[in-house]
Amino acid sequence: MLEFKGLTKQFNSTVAVKPATFTIPDGQMVGIIGRSGAGKSTLLRMINRLNEPSGGQMLFQGRDITALKGRDLRQWRNECAMVFQQFNLVGRLNVITNVMSGRLFHHGFASSMMGIFTAKERAFAIRALDRLGMAHVALQQTDTLSGGQMQRVAIARALVQEPRIMLADEPIASLDPLNAKVVMDALRAINRQDGLTVICNLHTLDTARQYCDRIIGMQDGVIVFDGTPKELTDRAAREIYGAEAEEAFSEAMTSTALHPQPVAQPEARVVN
Amino acid sequence: MASVTTNGQDRDPVSLFEIHRRQMIRDRMIVNVTLGVVFLGFLLWSLWISRFTPDRLATGLPRIFEYFGSVMPSLQWDVLFDGRNEAGRFPAGSIGYWYNDFWKYLRLIWETILMALTATILAIGLAVALSFIAARNCTPFPWAGVLARRFLEFCRGVPEILFALVLVFAVGIGPLAGVLAITIHATGALGKLFSEVNENASMRPVDGIKAVGGSWFEQMRYGILTQVLPNFTSYALWRFEINVRASAVVGFVGAGGIGAELSHTISFYSDDRVTAVLLLVVLTVTIIDLVSERARHSLIGKESLR
Ligand SMILES: Nc1ncnc2c1ncn2[C@@H]1O[C@H](COP(=O)(O)OP(=O)(O)O)[C@@H](O)[C@H]1O
Ligand SMILES: [Mg+2]
Repeated sequence: MLEFKGLTKQFNSTVAVKPATFTIPDGQMVGIIGRSGAGKSTLLRMINRLNEPSGGQMLFQGRDITALKGRDLRQWRNECAMVFQQFNLVGRLNVITNVMSGRLFHHGFASSMMGIFTAKERAFAIRALDRLGMAHVALQQTDTLSGGQMQRVAIARALVQEPRIMLADEPIASLDPLNAKVVMDALRAINRQDGLTVICNLHTLDTARQYCDRIIGMQDGVIVFDGTPKELTDRAAREIYGAEAEEAFSEAMTSTALHPQPVAQPEARVVN
Repeated sequence: MASVTTNGQDRDPVSLFEIHRRQMIRDRMIVNVTLGVVFLGFLLWSLWISRFTPDRLATGLPRIFEYFGSVMPSLQWDVLFDGRNEAGRFPAGSIGYWYNDFWKYLRLIWETILMALTATILAIGLAVALSFIAARNCTPFPWAGVLARRFLEFCRGVPEILFALVLVFAVGIGPLAGVLAITIHATGALGKLFSEVNENASMRPVDGIKAVGGSWFEQMRYGILTQVLPNFTSYALWRFEINVRASAVVGFVGAGGIGAELSHTISFYSDDRVTAVLLLVVLTVTIIDLVSERARHSLIGKESLR
């Protein structure tokens, strides 16, 4: 269970996230929606402390996350994997090394500086890639891949962290509709099969409605909606998006309006 | 069509533009004339200080040629390639006579190159480490970044020859002083270049490694180093060229290499031995420059083909 108690973030004069208090139970798939600049990324990046909160508290299973430092902080980051809009892979390394970098937290100084990974780690990484249908490019240099392929590699990297929470910051915003569907299906499979909590920032409404158990709507740093997809009426959605409503609604038609795959598909399971 | 009278005056856009253009040209003129006057002032000042006058030039220039005339070897065609005679000496006018100390020179030039190589390798190590601390986007602590930048400034601000003078005093005459002197100066120069390369690297991979729980070292090793390595290599090769030249000079103060020999021949003999050494130095530096430039260009070429 992840608890937020008055968590807030201020950049100089702008308050990006106003004090937020809510709770996310284990295993839920949460979508955070809102127009650009609403504070979605800031909220998400505070969870793994890529952005330092300026006030409030976060607890995971009762442990204070906001107070973590040094190795404890890195361990927490290792436990809650993140997938980024721009993938944030190391373009000049090959795919398998990028995926294995998800194990870096468990490495000593010498082995990580020399880039030495064990056969077990390689096998683990290949299975994660295979699960996302990317094992065939394992030895290719990462910056030669397409966007959709990169995002799948990024998810594989997140998986080998063996995380407890998966954070995704607009994972499909730079992808074409088909790749967007593949990525969202993968995230949902991870949520359903592995029981991971998934917290996902989404720009488009329909995607959130189709994939998430719960939707949180943000507007100017404030949580203005928190409920199930059913409870999110068109009118409520229009209010959240304001001037960007038309775009959010119409983009939905082209992105993941293709129906999501049925969940039951127990193929290769990597993460135990 | 939007109104063209929004400036309050009844002017068309063309004449308005012309007014602005004339104004801009006039402003620029003022700046240019001021800069020109300042430049001229400094030029005259420096001429006065160095007493750079035509008559001094007229008397001095011929002396340069005179000097070169006195250090030119007097080669004679008929004995040019002759070997040693019965007395074990080369006949005057032969290449063998001119380059009597060839093997000694070669040994010293080899020492010069090795000094440059050692100094370059040491400097690369230090500069890479310091560049991550000095780069504003990478530094683990801002105060450490400031400290590292000041330190690098000091290292490259003081010329090698000064470090060499001090170090000869400290560690004694010989190559060690030269290697250390060049290492310090090259660390300053390379560290600055490397840290600027780091500052231009994309931070996205760094965020990625940070988010998997990677330490600062891991963020730098995987997130930054992979991006900047080709650039680092190119700069390091270029620095090696410079270090070979520097290494030939530090010998003048006793810090090892061919420089000591050159200084010795100039101050004690001033005969054809000066040109003998000088020619070898120029030849070596040219060859190293050419090879290193080739290597650098093939590196850059490979990068841009990606
Ligand atoms: N590093 C930063 N420095 C200053 N302001 C920032 C920074 N990051 C985000 N902001 C501001 O915080 C607000 C929320 O941004 P963000 O969380 O990126 O929104 P979203 O992800 O919903 O589009 C915006 O007004 C943005 O300008
Ligand atoms: Mg965002």
